[in-house]
Amino acid sequence: MKTQRKTRLAVLALAAALVGSLLLSSCGQQETQTGDQTQTQSGQAVNVNYGISNPWDSLMPYYSVSGSNYSRIIYDKIYDRLAYVQPDGTCLPRAASSWESAEEGYAIVFHLDEKAAFHDGTPVTAQHWVDTLTLITDPACQILGRGTFACLTGTDEEGAVQAGQKVGAEAVDEHTLKLTFKNPVVPEEFLVDKNRELYVLPTHLLTDIAPADLVTDDFWLSPVGSGPCKFVSEVSGSTLVLESNPDYQLGAPGFDTLTITVMDKSNLLTALISGDLDYYAFGGSITEENRAVAEQAGFTVQEGTVPSTFYELMLNNETLSSPQLRQAINAALDKDLLCQQSTGTLGTVTDSSILPGTDYAGPAAQSAYDPDKAKELLAQAGYDGQTYTLACTSQRASLAALIQQNLEAVGLKVEIETVDSATMFAGMNDGTYDMGVASHTPTSLPLWFTGARLTPQNNIFRVGDLSTYTTLINAIGQETNQTARIDLVDELEAYLKQQMPFVPLWFGDALHVQSNTVTGIDYPSSACCNENVWQWQKTV
Amino acid sequence: MTNYLVKRVLGALPVFFGITLIVFFLMNMAPATIADAAGGGEASSAAARAALEANLGLDKPVPVRYLLWLKALLSGELGLSYRTGQPVLGMIGQRVLPSLILTGTGVVAAVAIGIPLGVMAAWKPGGRWGKLAGGLTLLSFSAPGFFLCVLLIYFFSVRLGWLPAAGMYSAGGGGSLGDLLYHLLLPAGVVCLSNLGSLVRQTSSACGEVLGEDYIRTARAKGLPEGTVVWKHGFRTALLPVVTTVLNHIPHIIGGSLVVERIFGWPGMGSLLFTSVSSRDYTVIMGITVVIALTVLATGILMDIVYRLADPGVGWGGEGR
Amino acid sequence: MRKSHPALTAFWSDRRAAAAAIFLGVEILLVLLLPLFLDQAPNLTDRAAGFWAPPSAQHLLGTDDVGRDIFARLLHGGQISLLVGFASAGLGVVLGVPLGLLAGYKGGKWEYWIMRACDTFQSFPSIILVLAMVSLLGPSVWNIILVIGGLGWASVARLVYGNTLSAKKAEYVEASRALGAGDGAILFRTILPNVVAPVWAVLPLKVVRAILSESSLSFLGVGLRTPQASWGNLTQSAMELVTLTTRPWAWLPPGLCIVATALALLLVGEGLRKALNPRKRQ
Repeated sequence: MKTQRKTRLAVLALAAALVGSLLLSSCGQQETQTGDQTQTQSGQAVNVNYGISNPWDSLMPYYSVSGSNYSRIIYDKIYDRLAYVQPDGTCLPRAASSWESAEEGYAIVFHLDEKAAFHDGTPVTAQHWVDTLTLITDPACQILGRGTFACLTGTDEEGAVQAGQKVGAEAVDEHTLKLTFKNPVVPEEFLVDKNRELYVLPTHLLTDIAPADLVTDDFWLSPVGSGPCKFVSEVSGSTLVLESNPDYQLGAPGFDTLTITVMDKSNLLTALISGDLDYYAFGGSITEENRAVAEQAGFTVQEGTVPSTFYELMLNNETLSSPQLRQAINAALDKDLLCQQSTGTLGTVTDSSILPGTDYAGPAAQSAYDPDKAKELLAQAGYDGQTYTLACTSQRASLAALIQQNLEAVGLKVEIETVDSATMFAGMNDGTYDMGVASHTPTSLPLWFTGARLTPQNNIFRVGDLSTYTTLINAIGQETNQTARIDLVDELEAYLKQQMPFVPLWFGDALHVQSNTVTGIDYPSSACCNENVWQWQKTV
Repeated sequence: MTNYLVKRVLGALPVFFGITLIVFFLMNMAPATIADAAGGGEASSAAARAALEANLGLDKPVPVRYLLWLKALLSGELGLSYRTGQPVLGMIGQRVLPSLILTGTGVVAAVAIGIPLGVMAAWKPGGRWGKLAGGLTLLSFSAPGFFLCVLLIYFFSVRLGWLPAAGMYSAGGGGSLGDLLYHLLLPAGVVCLSNLGSLVRQTSSACGEVLGEDYIRTARAKGLPEGTVVWKHGFRTALLPVVTTVLNHIPHIIGGSLVVERIFGWPGMGSLLFTSVSSRDYTVIMGITVVIALTVLATGILMDIVYRLADPGVGWGGEGR
Repeated sequence: MRKSHPALTAFWSDRRAAAAAIFLGVEILLVLLLPLFLDQAPNLTDRAAGFWAPPSAQHLLGTDDVGRDIFARLLHGGQISLLVGFASAGLGVVLGVPLGLLAGYKGGKWEYWIMRACDTFQSFPSIILVLAMVSLLGPSVWNIILVIGGLGWASVARLVYGNTLSAKKAEYVEASRALGAGDGAILFRTILPNVVAPVWAVLPLKVVRAILSESSLSFLGVGLRTPQASWGNLTQSAMELVTLTTRPWAWLPPGLCIVATALALLLVGEGLRKALNPRKRQ
């Protein structure tokens, strides 16, 4: 009996030790909290906690393997861009204070901000921009996404500088940069399209690195830029700590450090409500469903100004070979219902990829939902009862299930493959899948979507004959007269509606949860991959 | 025994290379490469994708790539990450400690709670401790990991505001131990709870067997105190399966807990593996495979030694002949 | 009347285990038969009810984010979850027990290769295998069972192997060998019953583990083929904060089903273990 009591005592002691350690750790918590408060009061170490759902790639801004906005929004902090772009197409000064068109539209002259400097104190000059462009268009340099610069003179269609030529970038004087183009461009359209891809590098620090070794050099383990934040430390793919650049030309950010943490999407809003985050990318976006939850927790929810997502059903034009078949799919889809499932009341169905509200947009789309017509078209196309595959990512599985029901209602058999996005795009590219659900961030340019997907270089819809698209897309690119251009865009749109290489679904508006601890955030512009951190102010 | 160890380590080598070979080929059989993983992948040109693949050596046949990787490995190189261009060794190095802290704490806590509970449960199944053991086991086995995370975060972070919902340290709070513990409590709690069940079950099952043995009855009949019978005779004999269970958790400690790390934004190996798999970062995946395989093999050897030490009858000649 | 096996008699006389077994039986019958009497399809949208309709007479548990009847999905999800659980645990045991026995009893080459295969399988970071297999074969119930079961044999084999090693040297084995029993007889008559008890204790846990593994796979985006439901992926709707806080009817029932099934399986396992242990039974 005695030992029995002893055992019981031992177990009790163990339990007590556990409770004790719990108590200790919660005391530790209180200590750090008070520590934080005093620090805030004395104006030291004010930190902004920033959440993001996916990791960034290398900190070399021209070596983003994913090419995703998750990387761009990080580069935006460390490196400087020419302008600050808002979703309605407005471009505000950033590294460049002003700009104008020159040489009848074939060139743009940027007047750089003379106060801009790299984090090592070296002033940013026009020569830095020229050297950056020279470096990244050098074929020996293994950068990614070089195609972006194919619009500059002296480059081939992959954006590499051609033998014996120079890239179309010139330092007119210390703070004047001139870019020359193959086709005439409007400065704002250039910025809307390319600003998020163009960063100035501290080329004076890179002279000892061979271009071929540039992208994997140790320099990018602790990079130097000229952006509003300086690099402090990184756990690749998980945490990035930055500090405010007090000398940023547009003003110092209102915090000392910015800690960016990768966490699951489902935990972002929760962490914001519990106070573990001050803000999350992109623009604190939230579904309409969760709006009430956020408001109940004491947050203000702001509605976006311009649609921030475009959904389309990608089609494989090789296996879905006849236009009637593709038309049938368009008619079979109840876009209103799909849009409601995905966005609640925040979406507008569309029959085109052109952003509503721009000069190029046609009349508002009417729902083309017509199952009977779809059945008729299927019969005309000679559909033989084959089962097609529809690829989607797991987040879109519900949407895909609804699309499947729509298509099966008119007799088109569909099997859903839930895969990750890499597999989906690879499968669309090589023809494994017949359909795929994808979404994109639209811009105000008429060719933002079609111009990059219906070309011989990138033919993701596997269109057999691209000639009409190529002719029209090139003509639109070269046309400078606005009226004539609108006519050409209309012609392209009419051809797209007839051929239906992909099915446009809807444009979705964004909802932004506003931070209760940081003021001055321009939420909607986050969708353009830039954030005005120099205007952010941590208040608590 | 030294002889046995040498044989055993030599025997582990083919397994190690077998593992790397299988993972390498399986990974390369999965559709899509890192060039397709590009978020803007569908908007990048076919030529750009091909250039990236050529640049990373992905245009070479898989066997050639494996041999190249092996050659680098033998000279102590794990290569550069496809995704970040950083050395793989450094990237994994950054993640090992956080995983050890999170999963290690969770498993150690589970062992500390689970084994005494298991013994108590075997001894007096209907008693208070037996019931507690039953309840905890049930919770441990029945709740999906992600579901547990969501519920705990909702109650402790959102509702009560007691514990942080994410991260390893409060940013700007300086990395104090108290701060770490504070952040550790929820995720390590989930890890502990999800491992607790099997430990309690294994312990109580093994002890239960032993307590039914004749010699225990004899010991009892001899009038030995109950505690001595349970702890000395019962628990000791039951130690072998219990140690097996504990050792089985070691690779898990190194490999991290994928779901928990992902949800809590914990910078461990599990979340690195998840990121690397979804971006097809082969070099990092292979690096993690090497680390995990080495751990498992070492654990396996350790287990065999424990068996032989615990049961001298088995002897040292059993394997590696 | 045929005399029933003593172990079975012992099992049925354990009231808790018997109740749990009956519960499992009823549950399996319900998920199999109830859908036949229900006029709701698990994968069809009810446009009139709309998305996320609260529970009503027509939709007992309301509708989900696509307007599908949650109750119908709960039943169909139960079929899938139970199938995945039992089939993959069964696969693990069917592969693991004989291999563990062979390795432990035969020793030598058998032991070497089987234990090396065991190491190999246990070392796989399983997500790599799962992802590769699902990408190669497509996401289907049977592939998930194959992957979970195929990865589960190693731990069973190791358990059986460890016990066989000890049992091989035990007096009763020596005794039956002295009596002239052959290898097969010793292995299956003498050793197997003595090493299999821990496997029975583990089996129901493996069923529960497999059900949970499937739900983790859906969380990681490599689960069942859409629009198939399982208790795991139904519970996942709680990941959305608004569903967690305002629509308990969507995630609580599948969650409770998992817990109740787990409880029943644990009790059955406990009962089986006691009933199959010959010395305890007396």
